[in-house]
Amino acid sequence: MLSRFQYFKPHNLNEAVQYLDKEANSFVLAGGTDLMILLRRNVINAEHIVDIKALPETGVFEYTEGTGLKIGAAVVVNRVVDSEVVNSRYRALHQAAASLASFQLRNRATVVGNICNASPGADLPPALLVYDAVVNIAGPQGTRQVPLHQFFTGVKRTVLQHGELVVSVELPESGEGDKSIYLRQARLRGHDLATVGVAARVKPDGKVAIGIAAVAPTPLRLFALEDQINARGLSQETIEWAAEEVKEHIHPITDVRSSAAYRLQMASVLLKRCLLALIAKED
Amino acid sequence: MAKAEYKSKYKRVGQRYDRKDAREKVTGQAVYTYDLELPGMLYARCLLSPYARAKIVSIDTSKAKALPGVRAILTGEDSDILVGLYMQDKRVLSRGVTRYQGDVVAAVAAEDEETAERAISLIDVVYEPLEPVHDVDEALEGKILVHEDINELKHYVGVFFPQKDSNIASWNKSKKGDLEKAFAESDLVVENDFSLPAVAHVPMETHVSIVQADPFSNKIKIWSSAQSPFAIRQIMADSFGVSESDVEVHIPYVGGGFGGKAGIHLEPLATLLSKAAGGLPVKVRATREQEFNQLPTRAGMRGRIKTAANKDGKITAMQAVYDWDSGAYADYGVNVGKTAVYSGIGPYSIENACIDSKTIYTNKVFSTAYRGFGHLETHWSIERQIDILSQKLGIDPYEFRMMNLLEPGDKTMSGEVITESSGNPKECLTAVVKEIGWTGRKTEEERQREWKTGKVRGKGFAMLQKAPAMPANTATSVVMQMNGDGHVKMMIGAVDMGQGAITALSQIAAQELDMPIEDIEISAQIDTRSNPYDWNTVASKLTFLGGNAVVKASHELLHKMKVIAGQVLRTDPENLLHANGEIYHPHNPNRRLSYKDIALGYMYPDGSGIGGPLIASGSVVADGLTNLHPETGQGNPAAVWTFGAHAVEIEVDVETGSVTVLKVASAFDVGQVINEKLIYGQICGGVLQGLGSALLEGYKFNKDEKLMNPSFTDNKIPTMKDMPVEIVPIYIENPQHNGPLGARGVGEHPMISVPSAIGNAVYDALGINFHVLPLSPEAIVLGIQSGKKSILCTDVDCLPGRL
Amino acid sequence: MDNNKDCSMYTEHVDSGKRKVTLSLTVNGHQVVRDVDPSMSLLHFLRDNIKLFGTKEACGEGECGACTIIMNGKAVTSCIVLAVEAEGAQITTVEGLAKDGKLSILQEEFISEDALQCGYCTPGFLMSARALLDSNPNPSDEEIVEVLSGNLCRCTGYIPILNAVKRTIEREQKELGR
Repeated sequence: MLSRFQYFKPHNLNEAVQYLDKEANSFVLAGGTDLMILLRRNVINAEHIVDIKALPETGVFEYTEGTGLKIGAAVVVNRVVDSEVVNSRYRALHQAAASLASFQLRNRATVVGNICNASPGADLPPALLVYDAVVNIAGPQGTRQVPLHQFFTGVKRTVLQHGELVVSVELPESGEGDKSIYLRQARLRGHDLATVGVAARVKPDGKVAIGIAAVAPTPLRLFALEDQINARGLSQETIEWAAEEVKEHIHPITDVRSSAAYRLQMASVLLKRCLLALIAKED
Repeated sequence: MAKAEYKSKYKRVGQRYDRKDAREKVTGQAVYTYDLELPGMLYARCLLSPYARAKIVSIDTSKAKALPGVRAILTGEDSDILVGLYMQDKRVLSRGVTRYQGDVVAAVAAEDEETAERAISLIDVVYEPLEPVHDVDEALEGKILVHEDINELKHYVGVFFPQKDSNIASWNKSKKGDLEKAFAESDLVVENDFSLPAVAHVPMETHVSIVQADPFSNKIKIWSSAQSPFAIRQIMADSFGVSESDVEVHIPYVGGGFGGKAGIHLEPLATLLSKAAGGLPVKVRATREQEFNQLPTRAGMRGRIKTAANKDGKITAMQAVYDWDSGAYADYGVNVGKTAVYSGIGPYSIENACIDSKTIYTNKVFSTAYRGFGHLETHWSIERQIDILSQKLGIDPYEFRMMNLLEPGDKTMSGEVITESSGNPKECLTAVVKEIGWTGRKTEEERQREWKTGKVRGKGFAMLQKAPAMPANTATSVVMQMNGDGHVKMMIGAVDMGQGAITALSQIAAQELDMPIEDIEISAQIDTRSNPYDWNTVASKLTFLGGNAVVKASHELLHKMKVIAGQVLRTDPENLLHANGEIYHPHNPNRRLSYKDIALGYMYPDGSGIGGPLIASGSVVADGLTNLHPETGQGNPAAVWTFGAHAVEIEVDVETGSVTVLKVASAFDVGQVINEKLIYGQICGGVLQGLGSALLEGYKFNKDEKLMNPSFTDNKIPTMKDMPVEIVPIYIENPQHNGPLGARGVGEHPMISVPSAIGNAVYDALGINFHVLPLSPEAIVLGIQSGKKSILCTDVDCLPGRL
Repeated sequence: MDNNKDCSMYTEHVDSGKRKVTLSLTVNGHQVVRDVDPSMSLLHFLRDNIKLFGTKEACGEGECGACTIIMNGKAVTSCIVLAVEAEGAQITTVEGLAKDGKLSILQEEFISEDALQCGYCTPGFLMSARALLDSNPNPSDEEIVEVLSGNLCRCTGYIPILNAVKRTIEREQKELGR
């Protein structure tokens, strides 16, 4: 690692934002599972590291009936995996969290970090997207909220501006009869980045939401496909149709992990399996 | 995860003793080269070529030199030393041209790693990228030469055959019978191509070497994570123009080798840096990325197999052409290629056969030995070809193999005659086929029925054979000395990198000397100043050769004890026997002496002594081996064949392509189990490595031959989640008459033919013949989607390992 | 998990041109106070600074688990934790497993089941397994595999490691009443 940085661990949000705003080459540290690799590979040159784990706002992990789930930026993935509430009410998020990286990394990696890293193939965004997650951002100009589907702007790029950090992510209430699932394909059973990851949710009103990763420069929420599915009504026939149609809504590339052709096929298979599982559950 | 219930006929050999190095390894006390710090030690970093082939126009090291803490900077202009195991073809630092994207262009030694890394980042190099040699076909065209000086390269004459003005580092050949006649007269001739990519060894400890080159003498002191202390000593002496005795090699614990740490690697660079830094010790440690893209790998290979058979199932002829993509340097690669000419038709009796094996230079990561070298690759070709032949003949693949496998009286490819003492391949196959409940191939109807469920099961099996690939005069030795407490201090020259050598050899000593294994003192750590000579820790040769040396030394020690005991007990030494750490007279057991009483010489009550400290040795050289004839490949290359077979049952998810390995049954004719716990470990570990090659692993290069997966992010190895549901080890014990207690080596064998067995099972499941590895989920799905019954290539643009 | 006790108030001083932070933590029951460079990883701190060489680096990127240690009860890969993040932490390394000169049951079972060959990954496996059994004394096979699949081993094929952990569970229940 060529970076030589100062380490700063603020105790309140203002202090953190001011520091980030003031110092040019400053980076936010939460779990560090992505940041440390960027530093080690000298992809970034950091002069300041701001450890946000002591901010009161980032430690929040709470579910409020009627309001939903709030996950602070310091909450590690294994805490989400172990959460009964998440397992029962936000099933896809539980499954995505449980499939992210290795157990040891999940003890450090944070949910918000998985969003901020903005990897096209990140596991958590598809699940968060189907729950209409909203990202809470703090910055020199105050706080703002951005829906997750507008948060990503490209490969490893987000709407975050200089001096801003994500404080937490919120998921609206998910109540009775709300069902979801996350399925992924990887090169092996052990920890691996997803070749394709698909989350699907059927709301109590029967409407479908679909999130997908590793098939475009950013994780996607497939609104247009959802509308078409909802118009047709969720059935075995619709699912067969959607499994083909999904290929028109995504733009996978060929890279070292997979060919575009295989990603198209997996998007189709996983979407079919997700939706079939969700209608099977209704029986 | 069933374990065979194994009972040994011996008191100590065959028993499940704990490994001798285990206690140090579970407490964090085991010291690896990575852990060593020496007084004044400097740390090195390397600047690697960013291009597969480029001209080095200029190098500016001035900024790096100015950095405080930098003690030495080297470029290719500072040294003209060439190194190489069999071909002296590799410069320690590139000069003028780089030959792969891991070639070392400059190196720095500094007071700490961080300073070395920073210095590297300050070196400016101007390159002129050149068109690389991409693959074996381009290399064989020979328009661009990877080594323009190939005609002048020093090499091991008579064993390896570099071709003039070409990219062929060695062309080895073998032939017997009348191939053309057999092809013309046989009922069926089948010709197929098979290929597999380069695969990394992935030892958990990366390569690391520390060298102190004494500025006041010729002494070069080396500490290294290496498998071949004595080969390093010899090659270093050759390359640096000093005497072998000037080179000291110390091997602490080694964190995995698998062949990748055989021969010589970072030692010459560390030596040059130490010399440049005034003789301070310099530590060169490969990062994981360098382990993938700088250190050598298993070569990619293409096999073209043409086989003839008669309707009744007798194989009449086999022609094999093996083209090895050895990358930029020959290293062990030429020996891998040589192996193919005597083992490259598998364990079959075939009268007419011909093999051409070419180790070929390209501008990729260079290749070396990897567990069972040459065999996983050739057996992928042969055992798939045999299966395809049996399909075409409509004969059950088990029956077909049984009709053609070697049996006593048959001749191997190189003309050796198989005897009862050689082991029994048929017994191995029969055992595994029975274990997985083989009842014949699935019909197309059965496949279709299962296909509808989304999951299709398949069974498959494959044979394997391997003999140690080693020079005809390969030697090893053992020294035993008795301590005052009656324990035996045993010294060997081979390295225990986890395969269990020190435990297995101690068991043989304990058996022969009839004393507790706990009383055999042996260290995994090697020092060439004190440990006796061993050629190389490779090739599964140690149990056999080293075991025999231990037997010899034990017998010598016993003889010496009996000579002294004879004097004390006033009898002819030949009247004495030994048991449980004592020498005794069988007629009158009261006449006895414990080993301890004569360990340092016997002392009479009046204080006078006889005998002196007990020391014995055992030296062994491979028996009856010869170099192979350069044109016909006839000769005797194999000290000991170990035959085996794997059978597997798998389940394929036809939509995602994921393969689940339900069961692996593995049988080896080991002659005699030395330690059931250790052999079980070799089988579990070898099978999983084989599954990695079968399903997952492989280097991926882009069109500029830059390695695209030089990290664990994208160069995956199997995890605990990827192990088979069940592994059943089967030990077959047809003793080898000249083996130690009948034993043969089996360290490498469990990895061989795992991919072939899986490939055959995939055919059983899907009715598709895959000719290329790995059988990744993607490969399976794209193969199914293609609608073809033979898949020669699974990449999008149909070039193996291409992006 | 978030260890937010303090540490905003780093002490900063300059020592031979390097910026240092004073770090205080407990390693294997011993209080340790050292000045460290903030860019130093916890792995390098343990090895280079307090000379505990049992913890190994094999990838440096959190992918292989060789450097796994227990930090505040959790198994973490120490190569991608900054030493300064361990302020106030309780750390256990492989050197802390044996107590009073006696190997732990887990270590004994690793020996007995031959759950190691080259031994380089072994400390990481031991720490992952220890952390698991400390939080869940009776995990299912699936739970063991989930945790230990974060550690790579190239030698053993994992089966003996899984067997060793299962044997440890039995023995700890019997002998320690877990």
